[in-house]
Amino acid sequence: MATIIVDNKEITVENGALLIEELLKNGIEIPHFCYHPALGKDGNCRMCMVEIEGKKRPQIACDTPITEGMIIRTKGEKIQKVKRQILEMELINHPIDCPICDQAGECSLQNYYMDVGLYENRLSTPKTHGKKNIDIGANVVLDQERCVLCTRCVRFTKDITKTKELGVLNRTDHSVISIFPGRPLSNPYAMNVVDLCPVGALTSKDFRFHKRVWFLEPAEAICNGCSKGCSIYVDHHKAKYEDDSIFRYRPRFNDQINGYFICDVGRLSYKVENKNRESVAKIRGKESEYEYASGKLLRLLKRHQGKILFLISPSLSLEEMAQVKKLSIKYGAKLSGYDICEYDKTFGDDYLKCNDLSTNRRGLNLLDIDESELGESVENIDLAVLIGRDDIETIKNYEQIEVKVLVHPSMPKDNDIYNLYLPMLTHTSRQGSFINIDGYLQFSKSNVEYAKETQSLLQIISILLNDNATTCKEIWDESLNKIIKNIHFEDIQKRSVKMDES
Amino acid sequence: MGIKVVPRHGKSLKEKMYLPAIVGGLKVTFSHFFTNLKDTSNIQTLNYPEEQPKDITERYRGVHRLTKREDDSVRCVACFMCSTACPAECIFIEATEREDNVDEKMPKKFSIDLLECVFCGGCVEACPCDAIRMDTGIFSFVKEKREDFVVDIDTLLSHKPMKGGKK
Repeated sequence: MATIIVDNKEITVENGALLIEELLKNGIEIPHFCYHPALGKDGNCRMCMVEIEGKKRPQIACDTPITEGMIIRTKGEKIQKVKRQILEMELINHPIDCPICDQAGECSLQNYYMDVGLYENRLSTPKTHGKKNIDIGANVVLDQERCVLCTRCVRFTKDITKTKELGVLNRTDHSVISIFPGRPLSNPYAMNVVDLCPVGALTSKDFRFHKRVWFLEPAEAICNGCSKGCSIYVDHHKAKYEDDSIFRYRPRFNDQINGYFICDVGRLSYKVENKNRESVAKIRGKESEYEYASGKLLRLLKRHQGKILFLISPSLSLEEMAQVKKLSIKYGAKLSGYDICEYDKTFGDDYLKCNDLSTNRRGLNLLDIDESELGESVENIDLAVLIGRDDIETIKNYEQIEVKVLVHPSMPKDNDIYNLYLPMLTHTSRQGSFINIDGYLQFSKSNVEYAKETQSLLQIISILLNDNATTCKEIWDESLNKIIKNIHFEDIQKRSVKMDES
Repeated sequence: MGIKVVPRHGKSLKEKMYLPAIVGGLKVTFSHFFTNLKDTSNIQTLNYPEEQPKDITERYRGVHRLTKREDDSVRCVACFMCSTACPAECIFIEATEREDNVDEKMPKKFSIDLLECVFCGGCVEACPCDAIRMDTGIFSFVKEKREDFVVDIDTLLSHKPMKGGKK
């Protein structure tokens, strides 16, 4: 450890670490473009200048290792002037087309300009123009004019994905980011360059022009694309006279699971969340009052007591699984998490994607829920309740099952197969805890409200159980803490926690 | 709080007689009546709606219009500055990719709910492209249905600036 003085304040930092890293950790604002914690220093943008006592000229904070007793100034007229000059140079050929730029509102260039900018243009020669609106593949649109050449994107494809699709072409003010001829950006993590880009040079084709970013409300959630369970932000907005809808997923930093990135499949999976929003209950394919349908389910459970099969999705949260388990005990039902659909041999890789597409399969093991094939154990079953999954094929061959009930966010097309359908809220609208493939327990806080009448699974079950436990906290106190003794509900609110192997 | 005692008027004989006040009032009425009768061109009131006001100033905030560029294309780039600034949240925009190669972005839908609008002019101030103005001089907008008060992009583009105003 070392003690340094920053702007007349003493702070204790790690000796030998990069100065910018420790300053940012301590909440001291240092403008920067090229430095990114996942990609390291590069030292090309010169934006992170600080004054260090004993050094003649201002130094870049991103390539300065910390030594004991350093005295640093990040504010003051001198350093402000340096920053202003660097920013003026970055903006020489910038088109300043913020009104049509998707980055506006979360753009580093915009923010720094408001802080230290030079508010008049001293350029008398015409600007050098680059190409605009180039589709470089993988849903990424490149605008060469807006680029500050921080090379974060180039370094991402070089160091992280190792696909090396991007490079810097030409020299001086003709330098541009580009792909190589006939070699478009194509890797399963390509869209991360959009988040990495500090300016509007790389924007997402999928998000392009759909929403200005200052309208978006971020909610913390967990991606349900696969069992990796990457931490994400769900950016949603409720426009006037319209339903709340999700516009994009962004990676949320989690050093234990996904770092700063997520895969493109997960990133684009928000579309399913917007689409699958059924709010009407159905009986044999015909619309029904919600209360009536819910009452009918209760009557069915009572009538078929002892001959019920609850088939749950391995993507339900721990809380939901615990409640379904309780329900199955009450009605003497068989509970199974058997699911072969949520497995794709071709999906996984050695980074953030897993073959197992369910979000909480380890939760099934933890709660001791049977995962083996149904086989002969369903011989005496005549009511099947599918929860959070609509794979009718799994129970199709069992002729003895007369009544089929579906509780799912979306209604499948051939819905008259089901005697009863109850809508439930989608993944990003239900809070819950999940255990990922590596045993990290996480809590998904997002509860995007899209339809008042649709209920969460916990609410549906609480009616069937006739108790009032509808929040995750209550279920943790009631049942989950008996199984997971060393972790409490409060522990997983801020970060993920590794489960004990025992 | 103190109590303020207000003296009660109307206690003198002249006031109690009531008629002098009536005469005084009628004197004003008739003096105006005869002045107007002598010179009808100088009457202060308008025979609205047959007569329309001619003294609307350039600064008057009328119904909005969307301006066009020299090549007759929409000036608006759907940056949402106006709808962000709008205190009544009555500007509804949907952006789309521009196809006329003038720029990258343009509004697919741009409608203003004139029943919700408070005519504050915030949108005009906020616009970075001078694409929205309120210089049409339209002060009266009458329709039969509520839905008709939501004016769409075509109507807004068709509005002309007030005669005599800046182009």
